[in-house]
Amino acid sequence: MRISWPAGGHITVSTRASLNEGDQSVSYIEVRDLKKTFTVRKKREKGQFFRQKDLVTALDGVSFSVGKGELVGYIGPNGAGKSTTVKILSGILTPESGSVRVGGRIPWEARREHVRHIGVVFGQRSQLWWDVPILDSYSLLKDIYRIPTGDYEARLKELTQALQLEPLLRTPLRLLSLGQRMRAELCGSLLHRPELLFLDEPTIGLDAVSKLSLREFLRWENKENGTTILLTTHDMEDIAALCSRVMVLGHGRKLFDGKLPDLLEQYDTVRTVSVRYEGSAPALQLPPGVTLSAEDGSLSADGELRLNYAPAQMPTAQLLALLQEAGTIREMTLQPENIDHLIAAMYREMDL
Amino acid sequence: MRAYLTVFRMRLRMELQYRGAMIGGILCQMFFGIVLVALYRALYAGHPQSVPIAHVTTYVWLQQAFFRMMLATDPDLLDKIRTGDISYDLCRPVDLYGFYYARIGAQKLMGSLMRGIPMLVVAALLPYGWGILPPASPAALFAALAALLLGLLCMCALENITMAFTMRTLDPRGIQSMLNLLMVTFSGNLLPLTLFPDSWQRVIRLLPYAQLLDAPIRLYTGDAPLSEALWILTAQGIWATVLILLGMALWNANRKRMILQGG
Repeated sequence: MRISWPAGGHITVSTRASLNEGDQSVSYIEVRDLKKTFTVRKKREKGQFFRQKDLVTALDGVSFSVGKGELVGYIGPNGAGKSTTVKILSGILTPESGSVRVGGRIPWEARREHVRHIGVVFGQRSQLWWDVPILDSYSLLKDIYRIPTGDYEARLKELTQALQLEPLLRTPLRLLSLGQRMRAELCGSLLHRPELLFLDEPTIGLDAVSKLSLREFLRWENKENGTTILLTTHDMEDIAALCSRVMVLGHGRKLFDGKLPDLLEQYDTVRTVSVRYEGSAPALQLPPGVTLSAEDGSLSADGELRLNYAPAQMPTAQLLALLQEAGTIREMTLQPENIDHLIAAMYREMDL
Repeated sequence: MRAYLTVFRMRLRMELQYRGAMIGGILCQMFFGIVLVALYRALYAGHPQSVPIAHVTTYVWLQQAFFRMMLATDPDLLDKIRTGDISYDLCRPVDLYGFYYARIGAQKLMGSLMRGIPMLVVAALLPYGWGILPPASPAALFAALAALLLGLLCMCALENITMAFTMRTLDPRGIQSMLNLLMVTFSGNLLPLTLFPDSWQRVIRLLPYAQLLDAPIRLYTGDAPLSEALWILTAQGIWATVLILLGMALWNANRKRMILQGG
């Protein structure tokens, strides 16, 4: 018998995600009832004298707390308010109401003191100077954050090794590829050893190899230096590979806060299993919650039996045992639903 | 303080990279200089003015040589504001106004020195009545250099005010073209301020634009005697302070109402 797992192996998610469990006893970020609205001016309609203004609520009472050393994923559809949260937490924006404490500081009030302790990577923006070698940009950052020379050199060495940046240090930013640039940006954001790192879609546009090495680096940084990391992304693989905890945001509200497997379980409604038996397929008495995939209820043309089942109703192990009893299995494929599909189903259900 | 000096130094070095732009700028400014000088010579051939022609040509050459100090914006900074990359600068433990002031200062200083020095050398080789005169006296030269420095400070402050407005409108062109028109007119770039009617001159000299290049040039040519130097430098200093304070206030106001658009 051979059980072939589909590529990606989402089933192993739960074990991988629990690798880095943060110390939750001390909460580092405290957010209470955060609200932020933006005014959007619209095109003037015919016959109206003034332009219409619309109030868009980006955050509508969001609360959460994050412990030191946690690696938290922050997801939600476009326009859910993820970036707004990051901008408020990093002291760029001032919210209308609500309280925020990051390491005991109010970000937008003690901006200069606050930003000394945080690092930010905006996946779609650049902090390094376009026309100069990245090493020069780093030495500017050294002076901006007043990093002592010895400390700076040790940290730079550590980061360039972990990010494989040594050969690129004397290259101007404009000559780097997207993946190299993202690594260079990450190094720049971590030079001053921030306690907290915000990553806003860090893997956007990266190829598979770059993504994997970026994730590995983030895990290393989190473990080695205890850096608290808050990650916003649309890439569910990022979350699955990195985050012990995930928060879902939609319409400016927090909709879920917990472990990724728990989130998936809620929306993991339908799975498919395909079985091929030695010889002809035995007649099966299908238990409740299990149906044949094919609409006419027949086996597929090549003698393969395809079943849909709901894991909540019929645990996978129980179904497998049942199938094995029925005959000698030659080949079997378990098809868990893709995480993206699950998230899409979740967004649909939450009416996002 | 280190950070501001480092950003100043980095911008100086970066400006040095743009040698093609430097050659283009020199050729362009030489052309304008020669056309303007020829124009004033033609004007003087018909109607000699109270100011000697050699003073006018000196004025024109100095204006052209330091043109880059006046009309040059840092495209990187405007791009940062337009694209939102400025959000990174907001995440730095520095004063943004000072940080950008240092950047703008470096660009203007290096940009105008790179263009100005070769141009002044060429202008000094031109015959009397076409080229540039030596300074009225060594003391006048020192006074002029001090005034030039203060003029640069005013200039950077003005530029930073334009930046502050750009953060509101997201497009610098409107405010820039308006302010630039005021600037070329009242700084003496279009027409030397010494050729304006005396009653106009008294008013124009009080404006911030006259502090940029007109003040140092008048000290250089001796048009403003050394006895007035202290008064001129004080006026420049006052304007520099006022403009810097205004710019800081605008930047602080912007910070409070800022929105960063897009993800």
